[in-house]
Amino acid sequence: MSITTALGSALSGLTAASRAAEVVASNVANAQTPGYGRREISLQARTVGGAGQGVSVLAVNRRVDQVLINDRRSAEAGAGNRDVRAGFLRLVEQAIGTPETEGSLGARIAALDTALIEAASRPESEARLSAVADAGRALTGALAQATDQIQTARATADRSIATEVEALNTALAQVADLNNTIRTYGGSGRDTASLMDKRQQIIDSISEIVPLREVSRDNGQIALYAAGGAVLLEGKAAVLSFTPAGVMVPQMTVQGGGLSQLQINGRPVDTSADGGLIAGGSLAALFAVRDDLSVAAQSRMDAVARDLVGRFADTTVDASLAADDAGLFTDAGQAFDPATELGLAGRLTLNARVDPAQGGALWRLRDGIGAAAPGPVGQSSLLTALGTALGASRPVASGGFMAGNRSFATLAADMLSGAAAQRLTSDSEASFAQARLTALSEMELQGGVDSDQELQTLLVVEQSYAANAKVIQSIDEMIKTLLGM
Amino acid sequence: MTMISLGDMAQSMMLRRQNATLKSAMQAAANALTTGKVADVGRAVRGDFSPLAGLDASLARLSGYRAATTEAGLLAGVMQTALGTIATLSGELASSLLTASSSAQTAQVDAVGTDARQRLDTALSALNTRFADSAVFSGVAADRAPLPDADSLLTAAEAATASAQSAADIEAAVTTWFADPAGFAATYLGGPSRSDLPIGPGETATLDITATDPALRSTLAGLVMGALLDRGALSGQPEARSDLARRAGAGLMQAASDRTLLQARLGLTEARIDQAATRNAAETSALEIARLGLVEADPYEAAARLEAAETQLQSLYTITARLSRLSLVDYI
Repeated sequence: MSITTALGSALSGLTAASRAAEVVASNVANAQTPGYGRREISLQARTVGGAGQGVSVLAVNRRVDQVLINDRRSAEAGAGNRDVRAGFLRLVEQAIGTPETEGSLGARIAALDTALIEAASRPESEARLSAVADAGRALTGALAQATDQIQTARATADRSIATEVEALNTALAQVADLNNTIRTYGGSGRDTASLMDKRQQIIDSISEIVPLREVSRDNGQIALYAAGGAVLLEGKAAVLSFTPAGVMVPQMTVQGGGLSQLQINGRPVDTSADGGLIAGGSLAALFAVRDDLSVAAQSRMDAVARDLVGRFADTTVDASLAADDAGLFTDAGQAFDPATELGLAGRLTLNARVDPAQGGALWRLRDGIGAAAPGPVGQSSLLTALGTALGASRPVASGGFMAGNRSFATLAADMLSGAAAQRLTSDSEASFAQARLTALSEMELQGGVDSDQELQTLLVVEQSYAANAKVIQSIDEMIKTLLGM
Repeated sequence: MTMISLGDMAQSMMLRRQNATLKSAMQAAANALTTGKVADVGRAVRGDFSPLAGLDASLARLSGYRAATTEAGLLAGVMQTALGTIATLSGELASSLLTASSSAQTAQVDAVGTDARQRLDTALSALNTRFADSAVFSGVAADRAPLPDADSLLTAAEAATASAQSAADIEAAVTTWFADPAGFAATYLGGPSRSDLPIGPGETATLDITATDPALRSTLAGLVMGALLDRGALSGQPEARSDLARRAGAGLMQAASDRTLLQARLGLTEARIDQAATRNAAETSALEIARLGLVEADPYEAAARLEAAETQLQSLYTITARLSRLSLVDYI
């Protein structure tokens, strides 16, 4: 019976070669597919009744380096986190504007300063007084615009949280689904490698949001944990919920009300202090932008606005003012009240009494905001005093600035410096995180499909196929010889 | 079986990444070269904007002072011209009055009286000079001419000297009237002196001369006395009229030193304004140079970076082409 056995072995060789070619074909076809784990065929000598009987295909293995993938995912989350932070801080810096940019806060302060000096030189000139009013209005505009940009970024962060939570929920549900399918298919001995590819792709798509740790469970199942500790998938997918706010104003906070908190399976999650359970990814960074970074930026902006208001609401600068009157700048038309400092930068307006656009008169810039009637047209002392008040060194009342006396321009520059220094730090952190991600991605891709290697394998497969076929041909001739006798 | 292999995607990703890095480096260098400014000011000042903002604030103030010094200089110049006009006409009139007073001919006194009347007109129009539509000798009330016309002034002076019987009486009355707050000062329509004008950082110029300045008042008193001759004061008393002409001439002569001092004081202020303007201009250039040092890109360095990035990018293209040709597919 050994000729028949030989025929059987040769046939098994042909089958093995065909399967190997199939694997090569699949690998080559998926050379550019992200998340595709390279397949490798594993062969075994077949034994029947203790005797060798050709070759059998043991399995088609999916080769991935799970440690590397976990590292890469955590790098992706880190990069996502840093990018969101750096993006926001860059926005704050741009909202304030570097001094040489037209329309920046610094340029507008300088314009007001210049306008006051020029007006003091010719107090009788309507054009010069009007230039002061315009410069004052432009300055309030710059602060309002910066506030608006910060609050818009906050609102965008709030909406992005909702989008990311949605993406997480969808992906987790899909992964749970695939887990089940893989268990069922695996149990019935079918190939689950492409399902695993699909599962990996889905997890990769959310790895930027939260750093994920994938843990293998029996029967090809996996569990997903956030690096911060949240259980996202353990048999069952966790359900995250979040309600975005419709509008955003500086007064809205999680503690103060108006803003939603993240919930996992109905339980609120503390996202302060770097994100808590969901720390490390873009989701945590978005919470940081919404609840920390933008609040800090706004409070510094408000402190600058408060300083500006305080400089001019001073009876020693403008003797026509009563003690509690609003000066050149007002809190939406009213005198400033320290209890309502939050959001002041957005509400700052030029005093209506000096602003022709609001029914006021320009001569009050020269004769005093509280003045009832125009004084002599050549009076420049108040204009000079206003210019001096703008440049005077005085302590800052709020905003967490370092103690010390500053002129208004220096205070605004300090605010900008603070934003720029934070942005630079976060930029370098972001580029470090990006470099780490690039390195890990490259390492992961190095383990991917190498078409040269696949072709080499194909050459070997071809040879093996030809050899097995040759064996069958020889056996055929042998049998023919036997039959021809 | 573990095989040493290198995934295809690793190579293409590496090439793409290198390409993107080099292109962005080229763009940054090209941007720095064409704009002459560093791309990231925050990075250039290492996150500390105080020096830059300080320079910008000073530059803005200086540009404000540039307008202020120009205007203060022009205002002082206009004042100086007016004072010069008054000094010249007063000096000339003083000598004609004295000459006429020693002459025996009454007609000569009449003629010099008419001349005094005309010169008073000129002096008043000089004091009522407007610059950029504001009266220069009105103090803060720059929208009004400081003094009325000669007729009103003379009518008021006549009323004050109505009871005077002699040249000495007239002189005393005129002098009193000019010193009296209810007299000449009541015809003055301007306001108190201007505040000091800012002309530089912490520097001001004092342009406080108004039409009520003592030197101008005593000059006007002399001119009014001369002009009263034209209005027929002491008519029919030729000797008294000669005496009045002499007293008017002497008064103008006496006021000359005060006028000169006033002009000298104004001249000093003009010089101060000029110096401040020069100083401001020098400071502006110095600050601009310092500012450039902070935020300007070095064109040589930028060009060198551009050149280097270009060479690297060319090499990368060559490598990309070569690597993509190197595949086993092409050989089997």
